Amino acid sequence: MSRGMSRARLRVVHAVLITTAALTLLPFVFMVNNVFRDNTEFYHSFFAFPDSFKGVVTVLGQYAGGDETRVIVRDSDGSQRDVNRSEALGHYVDRIGTGPQRAWDVLRQYMINTFIVSGLSALGVCLLGSATAYTLARYRFFGSRSVFLLFLATMMFPGVLTLVPSFLLVKKLGLLNTYWSMILPYVAAGQVFAIFVFRSFFAGLSEELFESARIDGAGHWGLYWHIVLPLSRPVFSVVIIMNILGTWNNFLWPFIVNTDGGHHVISSGLFTLANSAYASNLSTMFAAYAISSIPLLLLFVYATKTFIRGMTAGSLKA
Amino acid sequence: MQRLQSTFVCYAIILPSMALLLSFVYLPVVWAFSKSLSAFEVGGRDTFVGLDNYVEYLSQDPTTFPSLLNMFLLTLFAVCVRLTFPLIVAKLIYVLPAERWRYLYRVVFLVPIVVPGVAVQLIWARMIYADAGLLNEALRALALQSWTHGWLSDPGTALVAVMMVGFPFVGGFEVLVYYAGLSAIPDSVEEAAEMEGCSGLSKFLRIDIPLVMSQLKLILMLTVIGGFQGFEGLFIMTRGGPGFATTVPGLWMYFNAFSFQRMGYACAIGVLLFVMIFALTVINIRYFRSAEEVKGEAA
Repeated sequence: MSRGMSRARLRVVHAVLITTAALTLLPFVFMVNNVFRDNTEFYHSFFAFPDSFKGVVTVLGQYAGGDETRVIVRDSDGSQRDVNRSEALGHYVDRIGTGPQRAWDVLRQYMINTFIVSGLSALGVCLLGSATAYTLARYRFFGSRSVFLLFLATMMFPGVLTLVPSFLLVKKLGLLNTYWSMILPYVAAGQVFAIFVFRSFFAGLSEELFESARIDGAGHWGLYWHIVLPLSRPVFSVVIIMNILGTWNNFLWPFIVNTDGGHHVISSGLFTLANSAYASNLSTMFAAYAISSIPLLLLFVYATKTFIRGMTAGSLKA
Repeated sequence: MQRLQSTFVCYAIILPSMALLLSFVYLPVVWAFSKSLSAFEVGGRDTFVGLDNYVEYLSQDPTTFPSLLNMFLLTLFAVCVRLTFPLIVAKLIYVLPAERWRYLYRVVFLVPIVVPGVAVQLIWARMIYADAGLLNEALRALALQSWTHGWLSDPGTALVAVMMVGFPFVGGFEVLVYYAGLSAIPDSVEEAAEMEGCSGLSKFLRIDIPLVMSQLKLILMLTVIGGFQGFEGLFIMTRGGPGFATTVPGLWMYFNAFSFQRMGYACAIGVLLFVMIFALTVINIRYFRSAEEVKGEAA
């Protein structure tokens, strides 16, 4: 094994990795920093911490030291005021909250839409995908192989081929500007991969298990409900995460089918926001980027291992 | 495996899946081909025009050549960086002795996944490449004012600026895939290599790279397919401009469909892109599989 390395070499490896990681994360560090900075700060001193944070620290220092000097604060219109320390504290705390507050007012609806679309899509994929995969894996019936190939063959068709005709279809069905314009195509396309993942898992379940349950008098439904589902919890969570990752980041489709903008999800909503009057206030935009990252961040922290498996489940089979 | 008495029941269970698949996947595929043969505007009527759309795109459209060139350059660049940077990082993580550190680094490189892609592209366009953005401000801080630039608005730099988005190109997904490949190399192979005096760079080139070939091939295919059909990033950052400096065929398809209302023409561009992607997939399966079989025989 090459793991017996000299200390000097080990240090070099760590240095290279830390530098690369820092460069990778750099844009996001600036993103978070700029959530709390107004336009003046952004344009005049790019590399600086938020004035509001510095202000809070200064005023708290005054409290600690019993210093009652009045503080000069700058309002967003550029005018300066001379206030006492408790007013100054309030001013700085307000400034910290401005960007996130404004962003959240707009993002809330996008966030709800995203939860509805991603949630119902994942639910649909799980229901349809597992039922179809179970049937294909455990039963052999006339045409079952052709049906499987029909699902497999969809891998050939790239999104760029079907983007325009899918829009025409959704339009013809009168589904533009509804949740269904997103959910139905997501389930239709997302179930394919779920079926592969479920099928290989279901096919690997031992036949003896089914045999003994059948002797105990379980029917097809009983087998599925009492034997298969409890055993497949980990597979379900992988499929759910795989699906959420796929739908959460999809920008183009929601952008196209929301012609009146009423059902935007996070991705398409952020783009709309970036091209609206809100974008002139930079901290609102940075706050919007940051807030829109929180749900997946929570999911990632809460279920790191499953998250990783969900991400790679698609590729490792290839 | 049990033979079910009733084929009917099986079909009843898979019916919803099939219905969605046929209507929302296969029908659009069929339409893509059929609509590409007609002049068709939303609200208007289909007129059959044969191969006119294809002929127009391939012989008269002024964007065809520059946009195909842009697509090839962007894809080539993406292939080069995604086959190297994440692999090197994965290898560096893999050689660390402590599992704790190896896990921590893998997680750190994965974290940016949680930021929506749209946000990442907007951050690059409006914070890093902006006039008062990270890049220009860093140059000013280094007293290199003369180098500052409208990176995305200058036709001379726009394409390179778009390529550099995501620097240092160490995607968490690629790192995970390569790391999995490196972990699968049996200890016996590594030990044999060390005993033969093969270590360091030459071991990386002669042992590791051939043994992660299937992972490299996977990332290669995903990158090429993504490069040929992807255009969201360009739409968000430059809208193909300035001029046609960052236009790719997929983006031109989008504009034809949703800005110029030329649905048939857009479908034709989509079909051409599909044909290219399909051809590459076939070549990949033929060529690379035969290469792997040869390797198998030699071993």
